[in-house]
Amino acid sequence: MAEEVSTHRGSVASITPEQIKEMERASRRENLGRNWYKFSRNPLSVIGVVTVILLILLATLAPLVAPFPKHAGPFTDFAHAKLPPEWGHLFGTDQIGRDVLSRIIFGLRSSLLMGVVVLALVVPPGVLLGLLAGYFQGMWIEAVIMRITDIFLAVPPLILALAVASVLEPNLWNGMLAVSLMWWPWYTRLVYGLAVALRNEYFVSAAEVTGASTAHILFREILPNTVSPILTKMSLDVAWVIIIGSMLSFVGLGVQPPEPSLGTMIADGARYLPDQWWIAIFPALAIVVVVLGFNLLGDGVRDMFAAQET
Amino acid sequence: MSLLNFLVRRIIYSVFVLLGLSIVIFLIARVMPGDPARMAVGARAPQWVVDRLREQMHLNQPLVVQYGYWLSDAVRGDFGLSLITQRPVTTDIKEFLPASLELVFFSGLLSAVGGIGLGIVSARYKDTWIDNVVRVFSYFGIVTPSFVFAILFILLFGFTLNWLPIIGRVHEQTAVPPLVTGAITVDALLAGQFGTFFDALRHLLLPAISLAMGSIAQEARITRSSMADNLSKDYIASARALGIPERVVMGRFLLKPSLIPTVSILGLDIASTLSVAFLVELIFNWPGLARYGMNAMLHKDLNAISAVILVLGAAFVTVNIIVDIIVAQLDPRIRLSATRSA
Amino acid sequence: MRGKTFTAFAVMILVSLLLTQCTPTAAPPAAPTQAPAVAAAPTQAPIATTAPAAQKRVLRITFSWPDRIDPAVGNDYAGSTSLANLYDTLIFPNAKGGVDPWLAESWDVSQDGLTYTFHLRQGVKFHDGSLLKASDVVYSYDRLKAIGEGFAYLVTAGVEGVKAVDDATVEFKLSNATALFLPSLVRLYVASEALIRQNTKAEGPYGTDGDFGKEWLQTHDAGTGPYMVREFPLEQYLLMDKNTDWWGEFHPNAPDEVRFIGTTEAVTIRSLMQNKELEISDQWQSFEAYQALEKLDGVKIAPLQSLSSFYYMINNKKPPTDDVHCRRAIDYAFDYDAAVGLEWPGTRQMVGPVPAALAGHDPNVFTFKRDLDKAKAELALCKYANDIANYPIKVQWVAEVPDEEKWALLFQANMAEVGLKAEITKAPWLSLVENTSKLETSPSIATIYVSSDLPEAGLMLKQRYHSSTTGTWQQVEWLQDPQLDAAIDDALATLDDQERFAKYAKIQAELVDRAVSLWIYDQVEKHAYRTCVDWPAARGETSAIMGYQEYAAHIGVDCQ
Repeated sequence: MAEEVSTHRGSVASITPEQIKEMERASRRENLGRNWYKFSRNPLSVIGVVTVILLILLATLAPLVAPFPKHAGPFTDFAHAKLPPEWGHLFGTDQIGRDVLSRIIFGLRSSLLMGVVVLALVVPPGVLLGLLAGYFQGMWIEAVIMRITDIFLAVPPLILALAVASVLEPNLWNGMLAVSLMWWPWYTRLVYGLAVALRNEYFVSAAEVTGASTAHILFREILPNTVSPILTKMSLDVAWVIIIGSMLSFVGLGVQPPEPSLGTMIADGARYLPDQWWIAIFPALAIVVVVLGFNLLGDGVRDMFAAQET
Repeated sequence: MSLLNFLVRRIIYSVFVLLGLSIVIFLIARVMPGDPARMAVGARAPQWVVDRLREQMHLNQPLVVQYGYWLSDAVRGDFGLSLITQRPVTTDIKEFLPASLELVFFSGLLSAVGGIGLGIVSARYKDTWIDNVVRVFSYFGIVTPSFVFAILFILLFGFTLNWLPIIGRVHEQTAVPPLVTGAITVDALLAGQFGTFFDALRHLLLPAISLAMGSIAQEARITRSSMADNLSKDYIASARALGIPERVVMGRFLLKPSLIPTVSILGLDIASTLSVAFLVELIFNWPGLARYGMNAMLHKDLNAISAVILVLGAAFVTVNIIVDIIVAQLDPRIRLSATRSA
Repeated sequence: MRGKTFTAFAVMILVSLLLTQCTPTAAPPAAPTQAPAVAAAPTQAPIATTAPAAQKRVLRITFSWPDRIDPAVGNDYAGSTSLANLYDTLIFPNAKGGVDPWLAESWDVSQDGLTYTFHLRQGVKFHDGSLLKASDVVYSYDRLKAIGEGFAYLVTAGVEGVKAVDDATVEFKLSNATALFLPSLVRLYVASEALIRQNTKAEGPYGTDGDFGKEWLQTHDAGTGPYMVREFPLEQYLLMDKNTDWWGEFHPNAPDEVRFIGTTEAVTIRSLMQNKELEISDQWQSFEAYQALEKLDGVKIAPLQSLSSFYYMINNKKPPTDDVHCRRAIDYAFDYDAAVGLEWPGTRQMVGPVPAALAGHDPNVFTFKRDLDKAKAELALCKYANDIANYPIKVQWVAEVPDEEKWALLFQANMAEVGLKAEITKAPWLSLVENTSKLETSPSIATIYVSSDLPEAGLMLKQRYHSSTTGTWQQVEWLQDPQLDAAIDDALATLDDQERFAKYAKIQAELVDRAVSLWIYDQVEKHAYRTCVDWPAARGETSAIMGYQEYAAHIGVDCQ
């Protein structure tokens, strides 16, 4: 892929900048079409996309689609507590009489939000640090950034995330913060490796010679060539972030009741096993579906870019 | 870089990484709101008892000084007193670490054997129903969080079917072997108590499988795909054409190169099992370091938190070094490097 | 080749896994439940000669962990139960709320009520075989006072000094007369001075006493009690053997082996009970879990009376609940019957400001009942009535007790009916402790269970409503009323029971009239137990103070 871009750059002399832009856009459109074709040929990837879209729709439209939207907040109906799954309550009701299905639908919100927010918080700084360290290889910037990265990578991220979350007031935002603090080094390391390889490429040297600014080289020359691995990692990471988020809330360090979250629903419901199994098992299945959806999607994205490379 | 050279450099580097880690942990532990001394002695103890403990823990000194005390004690193997158990943290770690290592080792063994085994089977019978079953299993194994497996297994095998024990490391009437390593299975074998060994194994099974499910699935998938990739390579076809027996082709020419990615992922998976164990040990009441660490976090036991993370960090770093060496041995193309990220 | 051996190995492991999974069902002798019968004889106690077969009697109980068995450290449920079994005390609490002679065979009280002289039982042996002396009592007291943890706050309050008059006589000097002193001795666990000194580490925070034997006592005992520690892997279980040399009288079927297991996991408890591997459960199961346990063969639920009650502690210093009418409105609006209905049958609404099981509780004190008209009338009198929407009632409930959410949500719904707005939040216990330590951060209402350490109403009055506990989680009311303090102190200094109880009654009536709190129910402590266990506590024949329900020496086990 690096080769491809550098040939574009090679023909600068005879074509106007506008034309280059137009060509780039066209090739990008073409790429997109080709990628989607590759992607959609794998039925599993399509299932992944459809699942994820459905989940996002469910979560955003929760107040409209949940059978009992009120049950996601402070609500009691002891007369209808612990009902097994039946027509009116497909997934039964919990110990306080709240509809489990409605709470799962609302619980999706915090799970998805976790995935999105954590990646949004993590990718920009992680990528930036990786670019800097890779481009300034051999200089103090690299040493500082990469040694700090190594420190954070010296422990599995879940452990430090648990530690940070237990220090802070337990809620969704602090849970996200805790996971984010532990997640950026993975992107730094990924981009660092790519940047080290790219900085010696012909087109980067060319830009250096023509006096392009560091910012230009970092963001216009190197960054565009790291996009597909980053996207691949992101699409695979969403699932892991959601799992870690559910682990945090499982031990009580995430979303606080009465607001529903899948992890806390499982933890609370576990007290009612084995007889009122639906209180814990349906939220557990919901996590499996969410993670499966994102995983299939992520695999699709990875295969798509992998096919592009070869 | 020679292996010895690599080892020395890598270990020295790791020490500095762990030192950095200790600063990070120390900061996390000390910005905790609430008075750890008060938490240690309980809500009803008089203030002077709290003050005495604060003094003892140097909590009234500036952070830098506290870190100095902490570090100088830590290098001598003294991590202070645990607030929950009220014993030296080092004693606690010595007591709880073997149980965790036993669990992680056993789950690693299951991942390796189960994952690679399933992967081989899947590749061997590629595109048959066997392959499909393994692939579906892999998908669910990967996407289901370990704590969900733990709960399901307790419910299914422990409660409903009542096949396997769900509490403790051995049955209460089983004779516990004399303490040597702290890992009951090993101690039982050393003492020649085979009954105890099998009993301990039965108790290990459910927590270990819950921990291993994810990486069994992962390993199966990777082994399958890398074997499938290599299967289509020319050298396999030529080996077959030369009339080399199929078993030899599969074993020597196919399996070894195909295992390289599996081994490197397996290493990482085993290392991260250390963290997933936090929830699984909690659910199974497994008296290991992870449960101790989890309780420490939930009870803001800062000395214990710092020590547990540092110990796990050391274990994680060590496993990573070992994995790098093994992968380098398997694949001569890979060069060893002292820093992780280079 | 390597591949072949590898596959073979993999298959072998898989097969052996399957086998191990199957053995218990296939071959019953390997099943754990059968084991006790086989491995019996050696520790057979002489007492059990009346038992049909040579079978070891085992009593297994689950607890919420950790269990701290140092007599100067332990003070929660697991700890005080362990300590009661391992150590003896000078006196023993009886079912009637009083105390009986125990290590002290008798005692004299001076005229002014300031000097207590105890005459010790002779020939009592510690678990190492050495004889109990008066100096051991003094040492145990000094150690508790110096360490200051555990039940020190209870035992050492108001004691000026303790001395051994001779080997068989101990004298306690008090700084002021108090009815609480004698019952508080239930928490002075008598330990062997020699044994602790032998096991003391020289280095430690207690000067010449080093670590005061703290490290050793964590996993060992130094008592004279009916049971002694055999094995204590912290974090797992406490295993105790019967002390056949004990001076006291065992139940004819008293267990030879007592095991406290550190788990409260619902499915685990259920499996253990079902497999007959657990005799008595902990008290922390959910309502539904008890219902399910009750359905098992040979399992019953014992609702034990306890000295613990469930309070919605109302802040008397912050608007809107600083106005008595607003507080009364809350007390009238709450649906007590529904709240009690969420608990186990046998639970009763609280009568007055202290638990009904305490000596000196006044059963005739006024009790709030749900009455929406009265609630609205009181609310109209409240000075914030016109602007009540701007004064939400902030309720914090304890995160570690998930069931509390039910009552919080009920409270919210009840208050909404009279136009009071309640904002409920869940707070981890430690945050709640911190929040309630300052008036600024104290919520309008904190929902807390408080248990009385002694079966005496006066202690609870002091613990809950006296200024000395303001700013702790035990009193979120912030009463800070000097007149009330004086009345409580005066009552406690009255040694005559009748006179003292009359004073308690007056205080109780006043607290209810001022509606200082929302008194919900007296807790019943639920335990599932196997009916082959002869358990005095289930018949209400033990003291209700924490730690004596599972006094193993008085429990009979006759299980298969």
